[in-house]
Amino acid sequence: MDDDELIASLAGGDDMALRQLFDRHAPWLAARLRKALPPDDVEDVLQETFLAVWKNAGTYQPRGTPAAWLWVIARNQAALLLRKQGPTTQALLDEALLDEDRPVSDPAEAVATRTDLDVAAAAALGPPGCPDREVWRLRYEEDRPVAEVAALMGVPEGTVKSRVHRARRLLRAALGGVE
Amino acid sequence: MNIELTDVTRTFGRNKAVDGVSLAVGPGVFGLLGPNGAGKTSLLRMLATVLPPSSGTVRLLDKDPGRPAARTQIRRRLGYLPQNLGYYPSFTVAEFVEYFALLKEMPAHQVPKAVAAAVEQVDLGPRAKARLRTLSGGMLRRVGIAQAIVNGPDLLLLDEPTAGLDPEQRVAFRTLIRDLGQRATVVVSTHLVEDVGTACSEVALMAEGKVVFRGTPDELTAQGEGHEIGDSPLERGYGAVLAASRKQVAA
Amino acid sequence: MNDPSWNEPISGESRSAATDDIDLDRVWVNVAAEVWRRHPGRLERTAARLLRSPGLARALFTTPSLLLPWLIASAVVLAVGALTQVGAGQPLVWLIAPAVAAVGIAYSYGPGLDPAWELSCSMPVSDRLVLLTRGVAVFAVNAVLGLIASIATLATHAAQPTITAQLTFAWLLPMTAACALALAVAVAVRSAIAGAGAGVGAWLTLVLAHSATDYGATDGAGGVLSAAALTSAITDANLYLPYLAVAVCCAVIVLFATRPQRGLL
Repeated sequence: MDDDELIASLAGGDDMALRQLFDRHAPWLAARLRKALPPDDVEDVLQETFLAVWKNAGTYQPRGTPAAWLWVIARNQAALLLRKQGPTTQALLDEALLDEDRPVSDPAEAVATRTDLDVAAAAALGPPGCPDREVWRLRYEEDRPVAEVAALMGVPEGTVKSRVHRARRLLRAALGGVE
Repeated sequence: MNIELTDVTRTFGRNKAVDGVSLAVGPGVFGLLGPNGAGKTSLLRMLATVLPPSSGTVRLLDKDPGRPAARTQIRRRLGYLPQNLGYYPSFTVAEFVEYFALLKEMPAHQVPKAVAAAVEQVDLGPRAKARLRTLSGGMLRRVGIAQAIVNGPDLLLLDEPTAGLDPEQRVAFRTLIRDLGQRATVVVSTHLVEDVGTACSEVALMAEGKVVFRGTPDELTAQGEGHEIGDSPLERGYGAVLAASRKQVAA
Repeated sequence: MNDPSWNEPISGESRSAATDDIDLDRVWVNVAAEVWRRHPGRLERTAARLLRSPGLARALFTTPSLLLPWLIASAVVLAVGALTQVGAGQPLVWLIAPAVAAVGIAYSYGPGLDPAWELSCSMPVSDRLVLLTRGVAVFAVNAVLGLIASIATLATHAAQPTITAQLTFAWLLPMTAACALALAVAVAVRSAIAGAGAGVGAWLTLVLAHSATDYGATDGAGGVLSAAALTSAITDANLYLPYLAVAVCCAVIVLFATRPQRGLL
């Protein structure tokens, strides 16, 4: 059965369909969430995601993107989790923002933004290993200071800063300037 | 020691089903072998606190099952699969396992997760909401195993657990009891020698109500040197010990 | 994010990479726990609180589903009895009801009523309490069915003098005695069949023996097996106290035979 059929079936109470959906989609959802959250939180979010899927399957409108629907639910559950965890997390996330001129007060929105950006980075900046992608990974995914990034990449700090600038520009363009 | 039996006897009328059995068993998988009518089921029933001994002392999990309060405590930490389980045909798999989880006085908030884990462990996840009347014999046996393990017992008693299971399921079963035997005492009673020979750390052979052999599966195999009857070394050992015990009775 | 492709798993993302430290099996068990969960009804929840045992409440509430086959069988038998006429139009309900109930009560011991009975005996929840409650439930079911059949026949045969109000209700007392006897024997001998035999046998013997000594009582026209003679086991008020005594004695025997040290098996 394809995903739309599975979701329709599980809306009717078919727990086997939920299991199949889980087997198909939990792995990539886990991988994506893992980029922003520690393992325990990923497990909690996945659990809440599929329970939400079970409860809300009736509201799903088949538009050909069941994976997108699942990701939105997962993202919202991640946001809920982070909101519960409080201000410390927010402080850590503020540093990882794309645009430091635009502080985001809601950590939920921040992590949502951040995980989407990770996905966008893969597309807009090129394959892993290339300079733009590397600098993005070291600076924003691993939160390293500019000096450390420069040392790791074997380039002057100035180069790091200009690459960061270019990466941001590429991403902003790719995202179409949408928040 | 999770099981301590001292000179335990059980008679039904004039029939001595269990005749002076003494055993001490700790954690691990313990195989109880023997032909039908050897007294294995009666012994297991006494371990399950369902039958009191006619004479001798029984100590389970360091408690005396003869005293009601202690017996209740033992039963909370017990898992039992009788030879003939009996099912409620209209119950689903999950409902059946949950029923016995509740009867075992598991804290109510732990029950749903324990039930789900037990059902998954016996590989019946896809059938969790199927009614028992729709299941095959092998599946029903696995439901029985699930209810026995649902409370994470310290003492797990399984009477002919592999009846109806296909070879692949038997392999899965042996893996399961090996895992459980890390921390609990698992007693498996069966007349199929090969079934548990490889999973058990120790075996005992019963004949005519008595224990005629106690040792490791390798030691049982060693008994079979020169014995002709049996398709495998373990079966030959089993046959040799039984033959010797019959000669002793006749003498 | 209007471009839907951001939301699709990108082909470069592998399904197993980066998830080695995430236990998806454990996640699934937690999801399944909620999905497969049974939600007990309000009655059961109340009973669980009152009895301080969710297990005992559940055991008692599964009784109706176990009793259903028994209910149907008893209803059929009693309906047949109500419709059958003997001699001057006596319904057989009063004769059948105690026997049917005795059989039912005897079988609440053992796997007759509860297929997983042996396993239930190894449970911490009090098997004795469950047995007694199920026995009472079987008795109540038979009493109600018998009363319905009996009152129905009284209504339809109101004109006939041999069907009296006494006959309509008085059979409940010998029924109680027969049931208590059946359960006591079943529990003492550890056999449902023995209990059923004892209950039915004792009742039949009493009916026949009493009618033999009393056959001239009502109309004097028939012998031992006349309808009037057969009812004497119920209509004779001298028997009421003995019935009660038998019931009480057997109840004590049941309580003693199911004491915790002895167990049920």
